[in-house]
Amino acid sequence: MIGNIFLTLALLASLFSLTMYYFTYKNYNNTLKLARLGYHFLTIFVIAASLLLLHALLTHNYEIKYVFNYSSSDLSTGLLISTFWAGQEGSFMLWTLLTVIVGLILLEYTSRRGDLEPRVMMAFSLAVTFLLVMVNPLLKSPFNYIWTEPTFIEVIKLNSSILSQSFMSGFFFSDPGSGKDFVKVGPELVAVLKANGITLNQFIIEGKGLNPLLQNFWMQIHPPILFVGFAMATVPFSFAFSALIKNEYNEWVKQSLPWMLTASMVLGLGIMLGGYWAYGVLGWGGYWGWDPVENSSLVPWIISVAAIHTMLVQKKNQNKGVGRFVKTNLLLAIMTYILVLYSTFLTRSGILGDSSVHSFVSPGAMVYLFLVLFLGSFTLLGIGGIAYRWKYLNQKFNFEENVLSRELALFTGSVALIASAIIILIGTSAPIFGQSVELKFYNESNLPIAIIIGVVNGLSLLLKWKQTNGKSLLQSSYFALGAAVVSTVLIAIFGDVSNFMLVLFTLSTSFSLWVNIEIAYKIFKGKKSYLGAYVAHVGLALFFLGVIATGGTSDTKQINLVKGETVSALGYNLTFNGYRSIEGGKKYAFDIDVKIGDQGSVISPVMYVAEFNNSLMREPDIWSKFTRDFYIAPVGYNSGEETHQSGNTTPIKMLKGDTQEAMGAKITFTNFNLPGSGAEAMMSGGVFKVAAALQVEINGKTFSAEPYLEIQNGERKYFPATIEEENLKFELTSVEASAGSIHLQVSNLDGSSQTVSTPKVKETLTVDASIKPFINLVWLGTLIMVLGYIISAMRRTKESQS
Amino acid sequence: MNNKYIFGGFIIVVFLGMMAYLFTQTNIAYENDFKNVMNTENTVKATGAWVKAKNYHIDSDKNLFSFYMVDNHGTELKVIYKGAIPNNFESSTSVVVTGKFQKGVFIASDILTKCPSKYEEQFDEETKS
Repeated sequence: MIGNIFLTLALLASLFSLTMYYFTYKNYNNTLKLARLGYHFLTIFVIAASLLLLHALLTHNYEIKYVFNYSSSDLSTGLLISTFWAGQEGSFMLWTLLTVIVGLILLEYTSRRGDLEPRVMMAFSLAVTFLLVMVNPLLKSPFNYIWTEPTFIEVIKLNSSILSQSFMSGFFFSDPGSGKDFVKVGPELVAVLKANGITLNQFIIEGKGLNPLLQNFWMQIHPPILFVGFAMATVPFSFAFSALIKNEYNEWVKQSLPWMLTASMVLGLGIMLGGYWAYGVLGWGGYWGWDPVENSSLVPWIISVAAIHTMLVQKKNQNKGVGRFVKTNLLLAIMTYILVLYSTFLTRSGILGDSSVHSFVSPGAMVYLFLVLFLGSFTLLGIGGIAYRWKYLNQKFNFEENVLSRELALFTGSVALIASAIIILIGTSAPIFGQSVELKFYNESNLPIAIIIGVVNGLSLLLKWKQTNGKSLLQSSYFALGAAVVSTVLIAIFGDVSNFMLVLFTLSTSFSLWVNIEIAYKIFKGKKSYLGAYVAHVGLALFFLGVIATGGTSDTKQINLVKGETVSALGYNLTFNGYRSIEGGKKYAFDIDVKIGDQGSVISPVMYVAEFNNSLMREPDIWSKFTRDFYIAPVGYNSGEETHQSGNTTPIKMLKGDTQEAMGAKITFTNFNLPGSGAEAMMSGGVFKVAAALQVEINGKTFSAEPYLEIQNGERKYFPATIEEENLKFELTSVEASAGSIHLQVSNLDGSSQTVSTPKVKETLTVDASIKPFINLVWLGTLIMVLGYIISAMRRTKESQS
Repeated sequence: MNNKYIFGGFIIVVFLGMMAYLFTQTNIAYENDFKNVMNTENTVKATGAWVKAKNYHIDSDKNLFSFYMVDNHGTELKVIYKGAIPNNFESSTSVVVTGKFQKGVFIASDILTKCPSKYEEQFDEETKS
C-alpha cells in the first residue's frame, strides 16, 4: 500500500512541478525553485516506489497481485529482478522510472542553457504526469493487493497446513475442465485469515512464475534498454514543443541533437538485442520477423534517424544565417515520441491480440481509453502546435535547394526513411481493420528503399553543402564507385547472390561503405571526434551486407538423427550422441557432434517440459564462426523402444508427446493427469495420484487408456489400464513427472504369447538445421553503428554548450 | 517548383503506390467464422480455440502436426501443420493458423498460439463451482 501512496504523491508532485514551470514560463518570480523542488520530490517518490516493488519481488511478497502473477520463489536473483518488467504494470513502472531519471538529467541540462528549462520541462513533466496516471492504483499500479478483486488461486500455490483447517471450507472451488482445485482469495477470506492470526503472505507461498520463454539472460537487459530509448524519445519532443511555444527555432536543434542521437542509439541497440534474443535463444530462426511488436519500435527509430540527418542540416546552415528544414525537424522530433506512444498503444491495448507473438492481452477498457487519451493529447499538442505556427513557419522558412547539394541529398534520404516508416506502420496497423500482410510485403517494399538509402548516403557525403560542380562530384566518386563495383562482383560470384534487386542492393551498400571508409580514413588522421557519422554509416553498410548474406541464401533442412549414426546435411556431418540433463534436471541438452572438413564442434540444443505451462520448450544452439553460423533448432525427440523384450511384453520409455508402436498398436503419450487436489494431498501426506493419458490406435480404432500411479506416504503403487476389446494391458513401471517421461509396459491381457515386433523406432532426434552465412555482420554492424552514435553524441554534446 | 518537393514527392508517391499494390497482393484477412474459411480459396488467418478433447496428433515421420480447432459458433476444423508442435501449444487459449482450406482440412503454414496466462489469467471465467 505504501507503494501506491508513493505513486500518488509522485503524481501530485508532478502536477505541482508542471504548474510551477508554467508559472515560471509566464514570468512569475520564485516559482522556478518550487518547480525544481517538485520535480526532485517526484523523482524521489518514483525511485522509492520502484525500490519497494523490487523489494516485494525479492522477498516474494505474494499478497501483491503483480508479485504473485509474474514471479516465483525458484527464480535466480537476476531473473527475479527482471520480473519487475515482465508484466504490464511493472513495465509501465519501469518506463515511468526511466523517464523520470532522464528528466532529472534534462533538468540539469536545460537549467544551464538560457531560458530553456521552464518550457522544456513543462512539456516533459506533462509526459511524466501521463505515465504516473497510468500506474496509479485505479489503472495499472503494480502495488495492488491480490484480494481486492476476488482471485482464484490454485491450491498448489498455497500453504497446505492452513488449507486443511476447518475455516477454509467454503473457499474451495474446482474446475471440472482441468480437474484442478482453487481457493477463492477475496476480502472475505482475508478477513477469515486475519481472525485466525494468519497473514496472506503466510497463506500464499508460491507465485505463478515467469514464462519460461522469458527466463534467460536477455530478459534482464533487452526490455530496460528499449525503455531507456522510449524514455529518451520524450526529450526531442519537449525541445520541439518548447521551440513552438517561444516561436524561435534556432536553439532547440543544437540543444536537442545529443539527446536525439542518444535516444536513437539506445533504441536501435535495444531493438537489435531483441533480434539477437530471438535468434540465439528463442529459436525463431532469424533476427527479424516483422512482428508487430518488433515493427512498432522500429518505426520511431527510423523516424529518429531521419530527424538526426535533417536536424544536422538545419544546425549547419543556421551558423551562416537561416536554417533549413525547420518544419521537417519539428515534425520529425515530435513524431518520434508520438510513434513511441502509438507503439505502446498497439502493443498494450490488446488490439493486436491475435497477430503478434508477444503482444499483451487486453488490459481493460479504462486502460485502453487512457492509452488513446495519452496518444491523442500528445498528437494534438505536437501537431496542433505546428499547425498553429504554420503560417509563420511557412513564410519565414522556405528555401529552394540545388539539385546537386548535400542538403537535398539528405532530405531525399530522410524522405526515403519516412516512406519506409509509413509502409511498416501501415502493415503493422492492418490487424486493427481485420487485415494482415505477408512478410513479403515488408521485404519487397523496403528493399528498393534500402537501395536508395545506400546510394543517397554515399552521394550526400560526396556532395558539398549548397552546390556542387558536377565534374568535381564525378572525380571524387571514382574510388568509391570502382571499389563498389569490384566488391559487388566479388560478392555476387563468391557469395552466390544472383537476384537482380539483391545485386543492386549490394552495389548501393558497397558504394556507401567505400565512400564512408574513404572519408573516415582521411578524417582519422585529423579530427577524430568528427568520425561518428562515418563510423555509424560503415556499421549500417556492414549490417546491410549481413542482411543480404542471410536473407538471400538462407538454407534450412529438417534432419532425423538416429543416435550414433552419422548423417550428412548441408555439407556438415552430424552425429547425435544422446542427451544429458542440465540445470539440475530441469532441462535436457541433446549433444550433436558436428564436423565439416577437419573442423568440429559439439552443438547442444535444449528441450524441456516447462511446468509453468505444461508445454515442450525448445532452445536452439549455434556453432558460430565468422563467415557462417550453423544453426540447429530442435524439433522433436523419440526415445525409441528399449531392446530387451521378453515374450509377451514390450517395455517402452516415452516422453510427453511421443508416439510409439508396441504390440501392433500406435501409442501416443499425450499428457499427465493429476486428478483431484494432487499437490495438496502430496504435501499433507494424503494419496497422490498421477495418471498417464495414452491414446491408442489399433486396427483402425482409437482408444484412450490411463494407467496411473498412487503415492501414499512415499509408497508407490502402479495401477494398469486395459483395453479388453483388443486384449491389451498398459502398465507403468516408472514415472518421472518433472522430466515428462514414463516407462510403460504393454502386454496381452490374457498373457497369451504374441510375436513382438522388433523395434522399428530407434532413438531419434529431429532438428531443423540451417546455415546463416555472415550473420555476424549483422551483429558487428550494429555494434559499429552504436560506436558511431556514441562518437557523434559526444561531439554534439560539446557543441550544444556553445 | 521547389526541388525538395519534386524529389520528396516522387519518392513518397512511388513507394506508397508500390505499397498499395503489394498490400493487395499480400493481404490476408482474419476469419473467425470457419464456415467462411471452408468456402474460400484464399489464404486466411483462421482464429479459434484448440479442441482439447480431441487432442492432437504428431506424425514425426512426415513431420506433421494435426489438431482440431473450433470457432465461436461451434464449427470444427481439422488443421494440419507441416512442422513441429509450437512451444506453449498446450496451454494456449486461442490459436491463429494461417493457410488454406483444401480437401476437407485446413493446411496451415503458420501457427500462432496465444496464452493469456503469460500475462494475465482470469480464472473467474474458467472456474465454475
